[in-house]
Amino acid sequence: MIERILLLVLFMIGFWAIMAHRNIIKKIFGLNIINASVVILFILEGSRIGNEVPIMYGGIGLTADPIPQALMLTAIVIGVCVTALSLALAVHLYRTSGSFDIDVIKRRIQDEA
Amino acid sequence: MNDGKTAWRNIRIFASLVLIGAVMAPIFLSDASWPVTARDYLMAQGQAESGAVNLVSAIYLGYRAFDTLGETIVLLIAVTGTLSLLARVESLVSPGPEDTSSPNAKGFSLSLEKRVSHALRTNLLEEVTGKVGPIVLLFGFYVMLYGHLSPGGGFQGGVIIASGIVFLALGNPYEDKSVLVRPAILGGMENIAFLLFILSAMSGVFLGEGFFGNPLAVSGTPEGFIILMNCIIGMKVGSSLAFMCIVMMGGANHD
Repeated sequence: MIERILLLVLFMIGFWAIMAHRNIIKKIFGLNIINASVVILFILEGSRIGNEVPIMYGGIGLTADPIPQALMLTAIVIGVCVTALSLALAVHLYRTSGSFDIDVIKRRIQDEA
Repeated sequence: MNDGKTAWRNIRIFASLVLIGAVMAPIFLSDASWPVTARDYLMAQGQAESGAVNLVSAIYLGYRAFDTLGETIVLLIAVTGTLSLLARVESLVSPGPEDTSSPNAKGFSLSLEKRVSHALRTNLLEEVTGKVGPIVLLFGFYVMLYGHLSPGGGFQGGVIIASGIVFLALGNPYEDKSVLVRPAILGGMENIAFLLFILSAMSGVFLGEGFFGNPLAVSGTPEGFIILMNCIIGMKVGSSLAFMCIVMMGGANHD
C-alpha cells in the first residue's frame, strides 16, 4: 500500500508543477513526472500476480503480467516524443515573446494584438 | 490587491489539487484483483506461437504489433513537429542559410581557439563521451539483437543507440565529426527504417499470414521475424531520438 500512496504523491507533485509554476519548462517537466508515475503504476499492477520476469526459460514460476510492460514500452517512447515537442514549442515561444513566464507571454501577446 | 490575488490563486491551486487527488486516489489505491487469464495463456502458448522467449517482445511484435506501428507513426510526427518548430525559430534568429549538415559544420563542443578564454569549461566531458560513445553503441546493438532472448528489444536498444550517437556528437571537438551525427544522415536512416518496417509488416501477406503476420510461422525458426523487426525498430527509434537531440542542441557553435 505504501508504494501506491507514494505513486499518488508523485502524480500530485507533477500536477502541482503544472498548476502552480509559471515557468513553461517546469510545467513540461511536471508532465514528465506524471508520465513516470503512471508508467510505474502499470508495472506495479502487472507484478501483483507473479514475481518472475516474463522470459520463458525452463523452471520459471509464475511470471508478472507481460501486457502492461509491453504497453508501457510504447508509452515511454511517446512520453519522450511529447517532451521533445513541447520543449520545441517552449523554445519557439521564448524566441517570439522573450520569456518562459506564462504570464509575461500572455501580456506580450495581448500587447501585440 | 496583489496579496488578495496571490491568495486567491493559491486557493485555486489547492482546490484543484484536492479535486485531482479525489479523482486519482481510487485509481492509484485500488485493491481490485488483477486478471490472470492473459498471463496464463501467454505463459502456455506465447513462446510456441511467436518464437520469442521474451514474452514482452512477443506481445509488441506479435499480438499487439499495431501498437508498435502507431507508436512509430507518433515518433515520426514528433520528429517532424520538433524539426519544423525549431526550423522556424532558426529562421527568426539567424536569417540566412545555416546548413548544419555540411561537412565543415562545427562540433557541439567548444572550439579550440575559445578554450583559452573559457578556462572554467574543462574538456573532461568531451574526452569521456568521445571514448564511451562507441562502447555505448555496441551495447545498444547487443540489447537490440538479443531482444527475443533477454530483457531488451528494439525500443530499449534504440534508446541506448541514440545516447551513443549523442555521446559521439558531444565528444568530437574537431571538424571531421562522425557521419552518424549529421542530421541529414539520421533523417534518412529514420525514413528508410519506416519504409522497411512497413515492407516487413506486409511480407506476411504474400504467405497467407495477413498484415503483421509472421512469414516464418510455419518454418522452424519463427523468431527470425522478431529479430528482424527488433533491428528495424531499434534503427528507427535510435535515429529519431538522436535526430531530435542533435537538432535541439543546435548543431552549430554554442558557448
